[in-house]
Amino acid sequence: MIMPSDPAEQLGQLRRMRLVSVVEGVTLLILVFVAVPIKHLGGHAIATTIMGPVHGMAFLLYVWTLIQTVSAVDLPTRDVVRMIVAAFIPFGAFLNAHTLRTRLALLASA
Amino acid sequence: MQVYLWLKALHVAATMTWISGTVVAGLAVASRMACAGIQAEQDRSFLAVVRRWDRSVSLPAMLLAWALGIVMAMQAGWFSSPWLMIKLAIVGALAALHGVLSGTLLRLNGSADQPSAILLYAAPAAILGVVMIAILVVTKPF
Repeated sequence: MIMPSDPAEQLGQLRRMRLVSVVEGVTLLILVFVAVPIKHLGGHAIATTIMGPVHGMAFLLYVWTLIQTVSAVDLPTRDVVRMIVAAFIPFGAFLNAHTLRTRLALLASA
Repeated sequence: MQVYLWLKALHVAATMTWISGTVVAGLAVASRMACAGIQAEQDRSFLAVVRRWDRSVSLPAMLLAWALGIVMAMQAGWFSSPWLMIKLAIVGALAALHGVLSGTLLRLNGSADQPSAILLYAAPAAILGVVMIAILVVTKPF
């Protein structure tokens, strides 16, 4: 695997990617399990009106950070494919966080 | 109307900041292709400055431009307008270009790697995208 020569940059980028993955997943959880029930059971549409765009922004940031990470670090092809697929699967971002945690552990021990 | 004008002014300011940062990042990556020897050492310092600017200014500006743009489009009910759909496609391409440049700046940090030759055209592509957006937004042809 070819890596940038600065390991700190590389680790930092993978940590940022993992953080954004978690944020994307958590905003989706709040949208689906908090805002949607409040709208349909409580009759308050404001919850989804706020959380919808917040999750939309988190998703856009996730896709952007994924593009940045793939451009910055040469990850194994299977990891890249998994992260791209995960972007379009509900809660797939949590799967990414796990993949990145494993990758970070490997790099930290290298 | 007053709120809309403030949103619009901030959206334009954020967009100008984001795109100018993307153009500089494109030029910085292109400069690596032209540098060798002692010049490469000076180029590394320049790349480090551009990378810090990208992280602390261009990225937040892009996020602000997206957020304000979404709010404005929702307020004005433009999401069904064809011109906005085309604009969003161009914005997506510009964001992807910025992501590639940002990642490439990280990769080049302290490295002797050469960037992909196609990134030589990144800065002109960003300008072309902005020109197309300006025409679409001002004329709203369809």
